[in-house]
Amino acid sequence: MIKIDHLTKRYRDTLAVDDLDFEVKPGVVTGFLGPNGSGKSTTMRIILGLDHPTKGQATVNGTRYAELKAPMREVGALLDAKAVHPGRTARNHLRALATSNQIKKSRVDEVLEFVGISAVANKKVGTYSLGMSQRLGIAGALLGDPGCLLFDEPVNGLDPEGIKWIREFFRTLANEGRTVFVSSHLMSEMAVSADEIIVIGRGRFITSGSVDDLTKNAEGTVLVRASDHDKLAALVTANHGVVHDATDEGLTIAGLSSDQIGQLSFDAGITVYELTPQRASLEEVFMDLTAGAVEYGAQKGGSRA
Amino acid sequence: MTNESTLLATTKSEWLKFRSVRSSIMGVAVTVLLTIGLGVLITTLVRTHWSQLSPLRIATFDPVSSSLRGSLFAQFAVGVIGTLLVTSEYTSGSICTTLTAVPNRFRLIGGKCIVLFVTMLILGEFVCFAAFLIGQRIYLGVVPTASITNGAVLRSVILAGLYLALLALFAFALGLMLRQSAAAISVFVSLLLIVPIIGLFFPQNWQNDFMRFEPSTLGVSMQSPFAPSNSFGAWSATLILLAYVTGAMAIAVVLFLRRDAGSNQ
Repeated sequence: MIKIDHLTKRYRDTLAVDDLDFEVKPGVVTGFLGPNGSGKSTTMRIILGLDHPTKGQATVNGTRYAELKAPMREVGALLDAKAVHPGRTARNHLRALATSNQIKKSRVDEVLEFVGISAVANKKVGTYSLGMSQRLGIAGALLGDPGCLLFDEPVNGLDPEGIKWIREFFRTLANEGRTVFVSSHLMSEMAVSADEIIVIGRGRFITSGSVDDLTKNAEGTVLVRASDHDKLAALVTANHGVVHDATDEGLTIAGLSSDQIGQLSFDAGITVYELTPQRASLEEVFMDLTAGAVEYGAQKGGSRA
Repeated sequence: MTNESTLLATTKSEWLKFRSVRSSIMGVAVTVLLTIGLGVLITTLVRTHWSQLSPLRIATFDPVSSSLRGSLFAQFAVGVIGTLLVTSEYTSGSICTTLTAVPNRFRLIGGKCIVLFVTMLILGEFVCFAAFLIGQRIYLGVVPTASITNGAVLRSVILAGLYLALLALFAFALGLMLRQSAAAISVFVSLLLIVPIIGLFFPQNWQNDFMRFEPSTLGVSMQSPFAPSNSFGAWSATLILLAYVTGAMAIAVVLFLRRDAGSNQ
């Protein structure tokens, strides 16, 4: 179990992590979601003792990472797949890691086999593609057979087959009762691979819960195509609905159900050709949640003064 | 408890890392080539030009330090080895992987220093003894030679090897402070080459006081059976160099413990 306890991290004048406080439980895949620059990597680096927190602390199984006796046997991590000396072979890289934590040599061959890079284990890591480096990074994380695993943007650089493989792999790890903490800036990825999601933006906690919970609470919209769009739009506004998008193709309406819109149209004598309730996609929920929490967002049409 | 990560385990791991990259192997090869190769070249030149040397040169000639001169070039190779042992971890980003495996930073530096010092001491002693013995063989019959059984001579050869090992540690400390290969190597080379040149612009009496504290001058003192003029004796020079290494290492370790592991920022 990972516990983040009122964690704050300031780099000179930027506040990278702002009073984060949550727990990552074993037995489920927990997604750590936020736009780029929202503090996901920083949080993970603090969990691993790489960066020092300004305030608060992060513990793994109740102990600060730096104080773990044999860290690789408790926590496996993949932060940056390319963070390996390019001149060393994969096998030597893993052997050095294994040696430092007194993990037996045969385990190196096991993990190489498991991630499927045995055939290239004696090649220099510098010659590896990003996908192969990811697999090597995963092999390194698994060396100590740890109960707790952290992956920072693990699907980056993987081909579709690799992505499918890694999703199943996370599932297996969680089913074995391990704590699996996976960061991503892609809601769609988290929707298929995570059970629980923690959303942050600009270093601050935004929300958390299961994937279903997050979409359930989100507001849906209704797409309407009718005989008189202008009249319908006026009617919707008068009944406390909001017209998000009005084109010749139809109106996107929020705040009213499809039943209500149908009734309104009928009463006003407007013919409805199409009436489609649209459940907010996870991507939209995420955009709504993190709106204003994007560090480097493109401004929409210069509408902000 | 066999499952714990210990200093021994860290050292073994660092040794595996050291010998599994080409830059270390190249650095060792260059050190051998420079110390022994230049030793052969210099001693051969001395032998062939011996009859043309001035009486003063002949009177002050030292067969020991002249055969060990190559080590003053090899010090740059050793410096690169020491620097890269830590800066390569920052340039590749692998320092993060290393620190997740060994989060005890003090122990990590301990392991790295043990590997560096032991390998460089063995290497340094090997090349210095070889350069000395080959040099004396080349001098034999023409130029006066020194015997390794003489206490002062033995000390000079041993300290010449120790000089290389200490400089490697000094370069390592610079690398740990600066975290960039180019910056650390530049500073290292500047201290050994540029500082003495700056010293030349000082008034003569300052120059003598200043120059004898310079690392390569200390190196010359360490590898000479008799103290050269305006220089420290061999043991004093060793202690001063040791103080430099300890000071630099202390600063580097304090910075390393305090700073985030991060990429260069």
